[in-house]
Amino acid sequence: MKLETRHWTFLGLFVVITIVMLLPIRLSVPVSEQTQKMYDFIESLPPNSILLISFDHEASALPEIRPVGLAIVRHAFAKGHRLIGLSLFAEGTVIGYRMMQNVAAEYGREYGKDYVYLGFKPQYIAAILSMGESIPRTFPEDYMGRPYEELELLRGVHNYDDVAAVISIADGSLTTHWMEYGAARYNLTVLAGVTAAMVTTYDPYIASGQMYTLVGGLRGAAEYESLIGREGGGSRGMLAQSTAHIYVLLLIVLGNVIYFLTRRKRGL
Amino acid sequence: MDIGTIVAGILTLCILSFLYRDNPIYKMAETLLIGVSIGYTLVIVWSTTLVDILFEPLFSESKLALIIPFVLGLLMFSRFHRRTASLSKIPIAVLIGSGAGVAIPVMLEARTLKQMSATVMPLISGSGWPDISALVVMVGVVCTLTYFYFSREHKGVLGKSARLGTYFLMIFFGTTFGFTVMSRMSTFIGRMEFLLTDFLRIIK
Repeated sequence: MKLETRHWTFLGLFVVITIVMLLPIRLSVPVSEQTQKMYDFIESLPPNSILLISFDHEASALPEIRPVGLAIVRHAFAKGHRLIGLSLFAEGTVIGYRMMQNVAAEYGREYGKDYVYLGFKPQYIAAILSMGESIPRTFPEDYMGRPYEELELLRGVHNYDDVAAVISIADGSLTTHWMEYGAARYNLTVLAGVTAAMVTTYDPYIASGQMYTLVGGLRGAAEYESLIGREGGGSRGMLAQSTAHIYVLLLIVLGNVIYFLTRRKRGL
Repeated sequence: MDIGTIVAGILTLCILSFLYRDNPIYKMAETLLIGVSIGYTLVIVWSTTLVDILFEPLFSESKLALIIPFVLGLLMFSRFHRRTASLSKIPIAVLIGSGAGVAIPVMLEARTLKQMSATVMPLISGSGWPDISALVVMVGVVCTLTYFYFSREHKGVLGKSARLGTYFLMIFFGTTFGFTVMSRMSTFIGRMEFLLTDFLRIIK
């Protein structure tokens, strides 16, 4: 078994992260303006406001996106808001349902009255446009097959005019469609919880006012957890994340030093 | 420990074994992931789309207008035979036509006009001082656009502007790459937390 450079690199990362995660240290993170805006938005809504939470992600992004979604859903339930969950990605369907169910149980919220899960709808553009016209026509039944009008929370909800905003928990570009079709056409307020890789994609939309704000990646989750005073995956992962970044930086420096030394040796 | 945690833990270790090199255990876990994802998506799409939106309303409630999308959908399968393949152009044409009709005005509005208007900001702030952020945005947009202007050779002022544009592009690529590294690290940390906490129970 011959170990190559990349094996040592991975092994180093594995050892560094394992050691750091075993340490009982929590890193305090300064809250970014965008995360603060999300928190303030949910805080500023009157109690009993209705929020759409769209789980637009795949299972592969779960380690990063789950802490973001959890923190936002916890905050919304803690503030007494009512949530309507849905998914525009098939894989996000049951993930979103379980998350809402678990958090609702933590806060003693009741299905049908305080929250509802509508389930999955294919063809996201058509689904977003159709909900702008009529949510009951788009989802005649909830995820469990109960008729729309039988659920107390949904009785007064006809279209986007009846919800305060949509929060898209996404790992890709699906939030863009909420802005392009939901916000531009129906004046829907769009907020997002996204993976760090997508932050630069959405920054121009925040600058232009098309998106209200976003919470980005594990760091965003850690910031949000500190705002709501509830530790979660974000806060727990911050020390490991920072150490991993230092490790990557050191590797870059080391790589460059080796490159220049070998170049000099070869007389280039 | 429940069976789900054990299976998830073992499969996570199987996937991580790729870091050493490609191997049959990794291949098995990868194939399982693809199979389960497709199977799950297929079941969801079958029950929430084909049954709920098409078959039930069409056959149980006799909503005959649904015959049109049903037939168009079936025509998609005509691609599998050389003789009938041309019939699949009909549903594709409907799909592209309606898709473009819906998307083009929205794209123009959301991706071009709104973004352009956000770029044009007052260069002097309310306090009478130059707005540095607005200046950087303006210079960045102009210089980056000149880099993509290919009708004249990049010489003189145009060349300098295009060169500055490449720096803006590099900053963007660097930032995006940095965020991507952060994202992948987060995923790895998330899995490590699962392994150490739920699976191996080393961390309480």
